[in-house]
Amino acid sequence: MSRKTRDVLSVEWVKLELIRTAYATRGGLFAKMDARMVIGWYLMLAVAPWLTHNFTTILALFAITAVSAALARVGPLVLGLFLFGFLTDFLYAFLAAWMFGGDVNTAIALIEINLKLATVSLASIAAFVSLDPEKLSTGLLALGAPELLAFGVSYGYRMMPILFEEFGIVFTGLRLRSAPGARGFLGMRALWRWGTYAVQAFYPIFLNTAKSVRTTVESLETRGFTANQGRGLRIARLSIGGLDVAVVAVTVAAVAVAFGLGARWPLG
Amino acid sequence: MSQTTAPDERTGRLRGTVAGLPRDLTGSQKLMVFVLSMALSGVANLVLEIIPDVTIGPVDVSVSYFVFVPLALVALLNPFWAALGAPIGEVIFVDLLMGDFSGLAEIEGIIQMFLALYIAGSLVRNPRNRMQIAIAAVTVVVIDKALSAIVDLSKVWIGVEDAEFVEGLPESILLLEGIGYAVDILMSGVLFGVIPAIWLIPALHGRIEPLLGMRPRVPGEPIQGSAPRNGLFVGVAVALSVASFFFAFLEAWDIELGVFEPEWLDTYGPGFIWVGVGAAAIAFLVGVALARAARGKSDDEN
Repeated sequence: MSRKTRDVLSVEWVKLELIRTAYATRGGLFAKMDARMVIGWYLMLAVAPWLTHNFTTILALFAITAVSAALARVGPLVLGLFLFGFLTDFLYAFLAAWMFGGDVNTAIALIEINLKLATVSLASIAAFVSLDPEKLSTGLLALGAPELLAFGVSYGYRMMPILFEEFGIVFTGLRLRSAPGARGFLGMRALWRWGTYAVQAFYPIFLNTAKSVRTTVESLETRGFTANQGRGLRIARLSIGGLDVAVVAVTVAAVAVAFGLGARWPLG
Repeated sequence: MSQTTAPDERTGRLRGTVAGLPRDLTGSQKLMVFVLSMALSGVANLVLEIIPDVTIGPVDVSVSYFVFVPLALVALLNPFWAALGAPIGEVIFVDLLMGDFSGLAEIEGIIQMFLALYIAGSLVRNPRNRMQIAIAAVTVVVIDKALSAIVDLSKVWIGVEDAEFVEGLPESILLLEGIGYAVDILMSGVLFGVIPAIWLIPALHGRIEPLLGMRPRVPGEPIQGSAPRNGLFVGVAVALSVASFFFAFLEAWDIELGVFEPEWLDTYGPGFIWVGVGAAAIAFLVGVALARAARGKSDDEN
């Protein structure tokens, strides 16, 4: 996961990242668990922070999700981006509040809301980053999500790298066929050109995708794809084991302890 | 890009078949429109991942989405299925595959974007009229961002104890949200909404439909799956917005009992809160029922 920041700015990187998520397992605790239990675990931690205004409890809940994120082996890039966003959000909100005459109380209120939001999003990072998308969609399907969602995930899983590669080719073709031009003030003209190519590349992509989508849907039809067949087949793979029960039980206990700590030693 | 200039005449309110071909979609064509909208919005959002987010101070000056991509589909094809596909495609391709899934908040985002696109797509009566396209593009961003700003504001109000009494908090949040709203309308709505859309939609009109086995839209023709212009639809839209907040605060409502006690709580007792939750749930169910009824009716018309 040692990538430089400038790598983020290339089509190739996004494509690699897509393939990595689609075909590589990151390992970690939640990857081994049943998708339904992971969703349940997430819901529990997504709801808990909103039930309290007790600062100790919120801190404890944040600690629980932080430990979970570590166990889920969330990569440093994702975590770094999350921390950076969390800190800057808080700082800017505080600066703005300070301009309107806010004081320490305002800062505490802002820390409270930001910690709550951070807990919820850290829980979602821990639960969903390590879970492979197909498994997650099977879990959602078992919980009664529409079939279209599962179909969309399976389709995207296989088609998205191809579609994105196609976009890259069209985009590069447009750049190759155009004159280089000046960079302009602060690179504004280069940026404008980049935006124009990105928009223009969509015209052939629209037509190509329309054609390939028609082929996909019609070949599904000839193979007798009906919405109701898929559900049973996919759900059959799910099973809840000892690990799932243990993780959820430990989390329930930890959340209970967090609320207990808050009641015992309230911090404002 | 060269365009053949087809005569653009408003044919008036057309009924039945035009040029011998009906325009109502078969089931598999609806699936095609849905999957196409999903795939293209996914690609558009992935392209956006490449563009670095520019932040000037607290304000995010980045483009939040390429409005012109889903807008082209809702304007040219079936608005209902195209509008449904776009936000789901974003969630699936960008959030799930790139590892950025945010759970319950995604449902709120899907409902907001669906409503915005569905209404905007139904506004376009003539896909070659640039004025209508421009209005529709701005409408998408205005509706979507207004709904999400309200959700953000209420998150602070619910998440912080006595938020209205904390010095400077309401003003600062309002200021940040207001600036963000204006920037979004300018960047996402105009720069990457109106300007590309007024070129792309007329360019694609008449070209993309045959690839899906459909007849292009004729100006003035009522299209299947457009938002009905009546009180019923407004009711459904309001119910859906309520539902979007309902999902956003699913967690917050019932438990605020112990902490946040407005005056009317003493008057009516805590049971009254459940009336609110129940009303929201009923509004949501009624909305779903009305939407089904409205769709059934428009299917009968075609």
